[in-house]
This record gives sequence, structure tokens and C-alpha cells, in this order.
Amino acid sequence: MPRADTLIEHATILDGAGHRLENSSLLLRDGKVAGIGSSLDAHPGVKVIDAGGRWVTPGLIDVHSHIGDFPTPFTLQDAKHSDVNEETDPDTAQVWALHSIRVQDPQWDRERAGGVTVLQILPGSSNLFGGRGVVVKNIPAVTVQQMEYPGAMPSLKMACGENPKETYGDRGKFPSSEMGNVAGYRQAWIDAEEYMHAWDAYEAKHDPALPPPHRDLKLETLAAVLRGQILVVMHCYRADEMAVVMDVAKEFHYQVTAFHHALEAYKIVDLLKANGVCVAVWPNWWGYKNEAYDGVPANAAYVDVEGGCVMLHSDAVVDGERFTADAAIAMGAGRRAGVNISPERAIQWLTLNPAKSLHLDDEIGSLEAGKHADVVIWSGNPFSVYTRADLVFLDGAIIYDRHDKSRQAVTDFELGQPVLASPVPEAQP
Amino acid sequence: MRGIGRVAWGGFVAVSLAGVLPPVRAQNVSPAAAPSPGRIAVIHARAYLTPGEDPVDDATILIEGGKVRASGAGVAVPAGFRVIDARRAIVTPGLMNSNSRMALTETEGEENTDSGVSSGPFGEAFDPAAALNANTTVIPIVRADGLTRAAVLPTGSAAPPFSGEALLLVLREGPDILDQPRAAVVARMGGMRVNSSGGSRAAQWLLLRDALDASAHIAKPAASVAAGFAGVTPENLAALKPVLDGKIPLVIEASRESDLRQAIALVDDYRVHVVLLGAEEGWRVAPLLASHHIAVVVNPYTDSPTSFDQIGAGLDNATILDKAGVQVSIEGAFVSVTFNAGMATREGAGLAVANGMPWNHALRAITSGAAETWGIADRYGTLQTGKDADLVIWDGDPLEPITNPVLVMVQGHEVSLDNRQRMLERRYAPNQVKSNIPAGYRP
Repeated sequence: MPRADTLIEHATILDGAGHRLENSSLLLRDGKVAGIGSSLDAHPGVKVIDAGGRWVTPGLIDVHSHIGDFPTPFTLQDAKHSDVNEETDPDTAQVWALHSIRVQDPQWDRERAGGVTVLQILPGSSNLFGGRGVVVKNIPAVTVQQMEYPGAMPSLKMACGENPKETYGDRGKFPSSEMGNVAGYRQAWIDAEEYMHAWDAYEAKHDPALPPPHRDLKLETLAAVLRGQILVVMHCYRADEMAVVMDVAKEFHYQVTAFHHALEAYKIVDLLKANGVCVAVWPNWWGYKNEAYDGVPANAAYVDVEGGCVMLHSDAVVDGERFTADAAIAMGAGRRAGVNISPERAIQWLTLNPAKSLHLDDEIGSLEAGKHADVVIWSGNPFSVYTRADLVFLDGAIIYDRHDKSRQAVTDFELGQPVLASPVPEAQP
Repeated sequence: MRGIGRVAWGGFVAVSLAGVLPPVRAQNVSPAAAPSPGRIAVIHARAYLTPGEDPVDDATILIEGGKVRASGAGVAVPAGFRVIDARRAIVTPGLMNSNSRMALTETEGEENTDSGVSSGPFGEAFDPAAALNANTTVIPIVRADGLTRAAVLPTGSAAPPFSGEALLLVLREGPDILDQPRAAVVARMGGMRVNSSGGSRAAQWLLLRDALDASAHIAKPAASVAAGFAGVTPENLAALKPVLDGKIPLVIEASRESDLRQAIALVDDYRVHVVLLGAEEGWRVAPLLASHHIAVVVNPYTDSPTSFDQIGAGLDNATILDKAGVQVSIEGAFVSVTFNAGMATREGAGLAVANGMPWNHALRAITSGAAETWGIADRYGTLQTGKDADLVIWDGDPLEPITNPVLVMVQGHEVSLDNRQRMLERRYAPNQVKSNIPAGYRP
């Protein structure tokens, strides 16, 4: 992507690190943030954008997306064999979401127009161990390798609750219960420990004459979790389930990075804090299944005000393309419940907190000198439903411009679709 | 007399507001004139008395017997009316959502979901009214977002393309939430449903036309019936009579332009009143929809080609339809179709505004426009004299998600804004979780 050094002036900046700066400037140089404040010098050749009081935030980070591995258009073939879940065994730790991603999914463009610059693409939640997730940059690409975020840690998607037990219980297979789910996790970790020890022992001997242990893709992923090389992302709704999972993590000495969905996080904020676990939530989803019955819209506000780590995630693009308006639902619910969350605080749910959860907060998530120039200029207060992303920068390059069609990517899928052209005038009778 | 919207019968009792506006106040007119039950005056309202038009600043709304007795600027408050001072806050009619399964599902479990049937003889005549559960936790939750009306549409039957008959709800407290049964017959078309009609959407349209023909006693061999399709029963055909008589609409869920044109042709051929549900590619045929008086329930959230039927989906669909003169109303998206129908209704209207629809038109889409689409404009949709007194006092712009209602009234009765979610929020509030009282003993 072509990029120019850019000075954004006269902006209301939410820097992602908890600050709100009025009438301030942001200098982007060589794809990085070069400065933020009030008296920045535009060096010769720098492009100057007068924000005219518009709001500026870091690029948004969506830590739970299925764009590409659950691509549009959804078809009846997908209904039978979806690329989002490898639904043949409750433990498919060997699969990688990366290998399912369709780069021509138009949903990338929708979230880009909503200011989302980085996403974590995850396998679905049918399995106890769903497989590896991958962090990508939201740039139009022809191959998935062009989108991969360089150096980002992979994740392992795991799942609690109704999805795995129903997927396999309905087939008369293991697991068919909550206790089966937990036994499934524990047995797999026991196997992974043995596998890790076998490899450790082999490598400790430094003897090229010895045959290496059998290489097992499933156990390789799980062992990498135990070695701290892969983050754990766990789909869990209920507080009691999350508490049990944190005990399993203690038993096998691994860290749950984040519970995703976590509708009942508000019930156990202290426990989450004590275990160093973040939660990624929707503002107000609830009710659509038994384990979602206790969802409340003040969830995010409560976790935040009690000192927990909270992020918003999308799962569905309908939420990811209007993330900040979605956040306003949680802010409004918090305000009603007596917890005021400021805009500079709420933006962290979509920027610095997810960056921390991806272990990428030294590179993205806030507008601090040296970090990547992932920036959104909004038409107004981002937490208003009427506000749109005007300009979206990734690594200093404009990847979306609401007022310039030439900077609005169109996937190959949508190219040449007659239905997207202007309608032909109706024939007159 | 509960919760945030409580009002006392004597003295001044502040209704707690979230802090952006001075509190709404209730007061007696004078000690000599004790208010009569059911007589309420909302004063100093920035009131959208007729959605679509500009608000009336400093309006008074007099309510008696559950109806609006008078409204406007300079309306005098007679003796005996309990006064609620809106303090210049925005007042709108109660909102209406135009597509959900409210009171027909609790958690989408098989045992608590009654919005569709997958076997049996019922098609057009599947009337889900007998399954309505007024005690669903969903209603108090959506009501706390300002919703007072809902169109509930059946989701499917064993006689496709028909799903059954629509219900119109009035979200009052108590067991009686059904405002009108059999308010429309619903049919659902499109590529993702073709397997239930033999594998072609052409069969969906042929089956629909066969049923209309049969109901009208037009002799015509129904090849589809001979092929073993269910649904041609006296009950099902009778259910179509009011559609053919123009008394109730035929709701057709469809997305693709070709299907929308089939719906338009149906209006030409049968002179039925059609309401389209979804119509993601409706912007392609907006003038035709307007000239055929086809109203559209739009989903303002949808702009992805989630199926091949809606490659043309775009966020400005509602705006283009509205501009062409199509009557637009609003449904939610995804899990918000039912469980967050209140928020989805007003946020959806806000999204339509973000994509070009005038604000006044967006409010109309979720009040008087919806009332007209569903045939209840005689009693609901505005705050003009004679209409049911469904109204909401807001602490800000109702189309902004950050805004909350401070008072919701349904047919002249102030309803509680409390609900199961708010009780969970109180039980686990930051100042409660440190308590040494176990959660189960906390209120």
C-alpha cells in the first residue's frame, strides 16, 4: 500500500492509553506514530489533514472474528460442511484457522469501513479444542499470508458448555455433558504433558543417532500452550464454568489468556483478576441459548470499574462493523447502573486491551510514539450511532476513505455483480 | 409504583435520571384536587406528537382512560390530573418493532420456542397466539428500551412457503399482551429455503399462487399438491381469505431483486396488500415498491452478502426506500431480532439516519409508520387525541444507544422499567460483590 507521512491536526484524540487530548495533533512517519500533542512540526513533504475537531482513535482490534473462515456468502453447502469448525472430533487442536481463510470474503471490507485494522480469526466452538487462531491485518489481499500479522503469537481456541457437548452428545459420542467437557480437557493436557516431556528428554540428549519421538500435530499445539508459546482463547459463557476452567489451567500450569463471550464475567471479576484472565464480551447479547440467560448489558462496565480486563469482540460482522456504537450500548447500561465509563476509557475496550490480550501492546493498541500508525479519523464522537469512520490508516497507509471510492476496496466476489451497479431504468409500459 | 419511573401521589418525588438531564418530576396540581387514577398530564415535553413532523416544544399531553385526551403546546391541565414534568426531555410515542418472536421463545430451546412448526397440517393457518407467554423475561427487558408494540411473525411451517399468521402485541403488564391475532399471513421465500419446496424458488412462488387461487375458488390443477406437498387444507385456504379481501397484508420475506419483482407481480395479479420483510435488494426497485404500496420491514444492520440472495445488500437501503416514498419499518439483526428487540429498534433507526435517512423519518419508521404497516394506526403511533397513550420520556436522543428511557407508559399505564437483567445487575453491582452475604440472599 502506498503511504505518506501525515500530520493530523485539530483533532479530539482518544489515544487508547486512557487519555483524551483536545485540539491536538498526531504525526505519522514511516508507518509509525512519530508524535502526539499540541506542537508537532510538519517536516517538508508531510501531508497535512485538518481534522477540524473530528475524533481520532487507534485502529480497532477485533479479537474474535470468523471473517474468512465463516465467509459470506453463506451457502447451503456451508450449512453441511462449514470451514469454521472441523466437526469430526472434540479435539482438533491440529487444525489452523489460517488454512480455512477465504481472503475474498466481503466482510473484511465491512469491518475495515468500521475502523477495524487488526483481527484475530478463530476456529468455531463446536470442539473442546477447536484449533489454532491467527492474527491478521485488515488489508485487501490475494493470499492469507499477505494478511498475517508478522510475529504475532498464535492462539488455541477452546470451548466450554453447550456447543461441544451438544455437537458430540447428539451423535452419542463423548462428551455429552459439562463433566465430560472437563474430563476431555484434562485428558488432553495429560497427553500433552507426556508428549512435551518426551520431546524435552529427546532434545536434552543431543544425540543425532536417537530417533525423535513421533510428531503429533494435535499434541504439538497443546504442548506449545504448556510451553507458553501459544495463547489460550476460551469460549465460555457461565461464571461457574469459567471458575472450573481456571482450576484446570492451574492443574496443568498454563494460562487462559481470555474468556470470550463471558456473559457472566460480572459475577466473578475478582476471580478473573486473581487469575490474570481478560474477558472479551458483546455489549448486550443474551437469551439465545440456556447458557446465555444471565447476560446483562452492564457486564463490560462492571468488569472495567472493578479493575478487570475487558474487551469487546464481534463474532458476527454485524457487530464488528459498528463497534463503537455497540460500545455505547454498554456505556449507556453502565451509566444507568451507576457506573460512568468515559470515552477515553471505553475506547480501550477496542484498542489497548485487545492489544494486550494478543501480546501486541508494544506495537498496536494506542497512539504512542513508535507504535504502528493504525489510526481512525471519525466523523464525530465514535460512540454516537450517527458517526462513521472517515479515514482508516494501517501502518500509515490509508486503507479506507469514506469520501474516495478509489480507497474503498472491493473483493473479487463483488466485482462485476450486476446487482451492485445502478439499476437499469424500468421499461415504460 | 416501582423502580426508576416511580411517581408518588403527593408532594414532589424525583424520578432518578442518569445524570444528563434535570430529573423528571411528578407533582400534584393542588392539594384540593386529588388526582384521579388514569388521569395524567405530561408537561414541558419536547414531544414528537406526530412522528415525521417536527417536535412540539413545551408540549402538554393529557391522558385519560388510557388514551390521549389532548396534546400540544398551550394545552391547559385540568384539575384532578397527576402531573409529570418532563423538563424539556424528548417524549416520543412508545416504539414498535416489526419482526420478532417475542413471547414465543425464552431461550430458543425446543421446549420454550413455539414460533414455528415443522410437521402437521398447519401452514397459512398456523396461528401461534395460543403459545404466547406473557411472563417471558424478554418483554420487561425490551420495554425498558422504550418498546411498547411488537409484530411477532411465525418462522416456518410444514407447508412452505407459508409460515403462518402474525400477531401484534401491546407490551403492557399482565397476561393480556395480544392486541391482534391473525394480523397478516407470512410467507418466506428464497435460496436458503428452497429445499423445503422441492429445490427451486420457482416452486415457492407457484405454491404461493396455487394457494391464493385455491382460496379464491379458482379451479386450477395444483401440480405441486399432486406431487405431495402439504398445506392445501380448508383451514389454510380460509386463512388466506382476509388477504384476498385486502383486510390483512401478506408478509413476504425475500431479499433478491428477482423475488421482490415476483412480489410486485403478485400485487398486480391478485390486488393483495404485500409487506416485504428484509428486502435487502429493495433499493433496486424502490419506485415500483412505492407505486404498488408495498411497505418494507428493513434490517438497517445488513450490508453483507450473507447469502447469494442479498449480494446487493447495503446500509443505505432504508434511506433509498424512504426517499422513494416506501413506508419503512424496522427489525433487528441476529440475536437482537428478539432478545434485544428494544435496543435494536432504536439503534437500527439510528443506523438508518447515519446512512442518510432524515431523523424524523427514522422515528416514524419505529412508531406511526410501523402502525400503518401493521394496520393499527387507528389506535397507536402518534400522541394525538384519541390514540392509546403509549409514550416514552428519554434522557437523550432515543436513537442513540447510550440513551435510556426514564419513563415508559403503555396505554396510559406507567410500566416498571425493572427486569431480570437489572436485578442481576443490582445483585452483582460493584458495591455488592464485596459483601459477605452470599449472592443468593441478596435482592
